[in-house]
Amino acid sequence: MSELVKIVEKKPIPSGATMLYGLPDVGLVGLIATSYLISELDSEEIAYMDSDLLPPVVVLHEGLPHAPLRIYGNKSFIAVISELAIPASALHTLMRTLVDWGQTKKVRMMVSMGGIPIENRQVIAEPKVYGAASTKELLDMLSKKGLSILKEGYMVGPQALTMRYCAEKKIPAIGLLAQSFYNYPDPEAAAMVLKELSKITEIKIDISKLLEKGEEIRLKARDIMKRTQQEMTRMKKSQEYDLPLYV
Amino acid sequence: MHERRRKRSIFDLMSEYMEEFEALADELMESFAEHPSWNTESCCLEPLCNVFVTPEEVVITADLPNAEHESVKVEALSEDLIDITAKMKRKMRFDDFGITHREGEFSSLRCQPRIPVPVDTKRMRISFKHGILEIRFPRKRDYEIKVE
Repeated sequence: MSELVKIVEKKPIPSGATMLYGLPDVGLVGLIATSYLISELDSEEIAYMDSDLLPPVVVLHEGLPHAPLRIYGNKSFIAVISELAIPASALHTLMRTLVDWGQTKKVRMMVSMGGIPIENRQVIAEPKVYGAASTKELLDMLSKKGLSILKEGYMVGPQALTMRYCAEKKIPAIGLLAQSFYNYPDPEAAAMVLKELSKITEIKIDISKLLEKGEEIRLKARDIMKRTQQEMTRMKKSQEYDLPLYV
Repeated sequence: MHERRRKRSIFDLMSEYMEEFEALADELMESFAEHPSWNTESCCLEPLCNVFVTPEEVVITADLPNAEHESVKVEALSEDLIDITAKMKRKMRFDDFGITHREGEFSSLRCQPRIPVPVDTKRMRISFKHGILEIRFPRKRDYEIKVE
């Protein structure tokens, strides 16, 4: 595990759970989905991350200080969230540490939830969810569950690194990516991702409350979206629009 | 053994300077953009907005959650400054965001995006779908250069 990022465990960590990533990225899709999942399903804070690579920030909840990057869990899942736009420069070290840590906890599978930015998102009533995976078997499983597969192109950001490090370490990894706004919070896209997550894992969740609270979430998520956009520019997120060269 | 320092060409140095300059410019731009996303004097929350330039148009979008559809107003303050306002369906207080150490109530959304290239503000087209306001301005063209 990297010395630069420390994962401090507060409670016993379940073994063999599914590890979910909901880090700030396009449309805050993963962050909204994971935050909702944590609040709706019975889970508690089991660990947090500490690193000098992160800005000097703590978040106050009920008057008490908390690390902005925290890990929640119960018997069936471990979920990573961040209330901070993660500096692009810290992303490699952070993701490598998380994947290494997950491996020591013998996680069954790692799932990154996120978005695929599309220009005409406002005219789409129900965003489509695409799947990516670290192995051919997992891609086949996603196809059988009815998901369209991301076949070619670039992935940039936290889910790209999770996929890469998991593939290196032969840890099963999946990406669930919904069509979303690039720089506007997208609770509907988050709901669609959770719907697909219910199909492919044992984590079942009712998304109706998330859809009801959509407007409120969009208002409350403005500031973290703005800061995430600055980091997305730094990590050259727009490369996801690029067309790959195949000769 | 002493490791020989690699000689850097003038192009390496220029590229390093350019990278440093770009990083400084980014920091400067961000420091200008650093301001609260709320204003207690005008009771406004600042919505997220985006400006996109195409060869034909400038497209400005703004995310207006909780906005009353009929109250959405777009006004050109000058040739390069647009004022977007909308009343909120439900007023919000700092309390609603969990903040108890500040006082204030917000009843509308307001932002003023800048248009980066000359446009024809009189021919703007506006739509409001899914809580997203979209304003399209045709770009002004002064003259055409003939290809010989």
